[in-house]
Amino acid sequence: MPTASIITHSLTKLYGSLTALDSFDLEVDQGSIFGMLGPNGAGKTTLIRILTTLMRQSSGDASIEGLDTLRSGREIRCMIGVVSQENSLDRYLTARENLELHARLHGMDKRLYKQRIDELLELMGLAGRQKDFPDTFSGGMQRRLVIARALVHQPRVLFLDEPTTGLDPQSRRVVWEYVRSMAGSMTIFLTTHYLEEAEQLCDRIAIMDHGRLIAIGSTQELKDRLSGATVYEIEFAGQEADRYTTLLGSMPCVVNIRRLGGKVTVTLECWECLSEIVTALNGAPVRRISLQERTLEDVFISLTGDKVRE
Amino acid sequence: MLRGSLAIWQRDMLVLRRNMVSELVAVVAYPLTIYLAFGIGMQGYIGLVEGVPYSLFIAPGLITMTAVSAAYNESVWSLWFHRRVQFTVESYRVTPITVSEIVIAKILTGFTHGIIKGCAVGLVIFAITPFRFPLEHLLHYLLFLIPGSAFFSCAGVISGTIMDKPETIGKVEAVLVMPLIFMSGLFFPLSSYPQSVIFWVRLLPTTALFEGARKALVAGDMMTLSVLQVLLSALLTFAASVYIFRFKMSE
Ligand SMILES: Nc1ncnc2c1ncn2[C@@H]1O[C@H](COP(=O)(O)OP(=O)(O)O)[C@@H](O)[C@H]1O
Ligand SMILES: [Mg+2]
Repeated sequence: MPTASIITHSLTKLYGSLTALDSFDLEVDQGSIFGMLGPNGAGKTTLIRILTTLMRQSSGDASIEGLDTLRSGREIRCMIGVVSQENSLDRYLTARENLELHARLHGMDKRLYKQRIDELLELMGLAGRQKDFPDTFSGGMQRRLVIARALVHQPRVLFLDEPTTGLDPQSRRVVWEYVRSMAGSMTIFLTTHYLEEAEQLCDRIAIMDHGRLIAIGSTQELKDRLSGATVYEIEFAGQEADRYTTLLGSMPCVVNIRRLGGKVTVTLECWECLSEIVTALNGAPVRRISLQERTLEDVFISLTGDKVRE
Repeated sequence: MLRGSLAIWQRDMLVLRRNMVSELVAVVAYPLTIYLAFGIGMQGYIGLVEGVPYSLFIAPGLITMTAVSAAYNESVWSLWFHRRVQFTVESYRVTPITVSEIVIAKILTGFTHGIIKGCAVGLVIFAITPFRFPLEHLLHYLLFLIPGSAFFSCAGVISGTIMDKPETIGKVEAVLVMPLIFMSGLFFPLSSYPQSVIFWVRLLPTTALFEGARKALVAGDMMTLSVLQVLLSALLTFAASVYIFRFKMSE
């Protein structure tokens, strides 16, 4: 039975009259990769700021490795690594100097951090650029440098706030590789609004919106929640897709519908509704109807009634 | 306890060393222009002020002005930049160091900029003008320059902490900081003020600083009360800047 690394209890944060976190209860197992999935404005950054002792909650409590965030801030900061949403690299210091300053702020001994920094630069594929300034780096390299910085003091818990937002798909995959390679050696708490990212990386996923926890479980558990709902992709020949999208969209058994060129994706309440759809499509130039595997996105839509806001 | 302050201050010094030449050229150009325009250009029209040629009268003030405005500017812009643009303050805050260590580092950095740039202008004025003073006057002068730079550095930290927009910082500098410097007898003796105003002008720490510093350097006067006034102002703004920064960071 793994013990919990992060625990929050009735955690609430108000900004004036806005409730950014609403009685948030959460447990994250030690050594797991945990994904907090939510659209923009859901409250993900607010949660991370409280957990990393940058901000105080309005009520409720939170603990990291058994230490209370309000009372043991310093002890907690000794053992966490933080990759914030904004790029907080020092552009007047070289890549290596960025890491060295961070090591010194953690009170590390020079002999110790020199070797550790060598290792990290190597690991993150930045060794050849260590004397360059971060301004000259690509977005993906900057992210990797921020991650390296968060790892210098060998934290037990790593927080990543939207680690790949704004990166091109290829750099994103590279970052994923690094995050995966750290699995097991520490607890990793990451936030994202990319469903694929959560699905690819995380052992457990929580979905939040408007400051509230909506669902929590493994990817499979979350998909299983969509008991009845099924998603079909219908491919039309010619220019008919538009007309049929409107027609299908007006049917009560259709939960959600999206069109991309000639392909229409419909989410049905239950698979039995398929016959109604087939009847409605009688005579339409349908090329193909195929059953789609459920994705986290379907889970998200069914839980929040909304697509993930970018 | 100040390990974090030392690390951040050394970071700032590393960056200053890298840009030393351009920083110094920029900072020396302004007071030197004033010196040439007023001290030399207007000298013939003005004659003696408080018994010394006008160029001698304004030279100490120009050095002091350079030092304190460099201290203020470094603190205000650096704090704003690291807080609002680069988010480095945030990256410092997730390490075990305290918020006070961060603000103390920034105060030290502003102070160091002030002293270095003040000295640079002093050396240039010494090199290219006939301005001379006995060496022991320098010790008296430093009694003003050191707490004066500290005072302005702390004031800059306060401004850089409470102001989030760069245009506000510019406005405060134009309507508050520069007038405070110019009103305090930098270019004219305080006796030029109407009798009723002098009392109030003397209450300003900047007056104690600029008048005291000038008299120390030119005449070797030791105005203990003025030194104490500047020192006390520096201590008060130091306490205020630490308090205000901690308050701002606690959201
Ligand atoms: N400092 C702040 N003051 C007021 N409102 C804020 C502040 N920070 C965030 N918010 C609001 O709180 C909500 C949650 O924001 P945030 O935690 O940044 O969400 P996310 O990271 O999921 O995008 C948003 O509605 C945002 O506008
Ligand atoms: Mg966010």
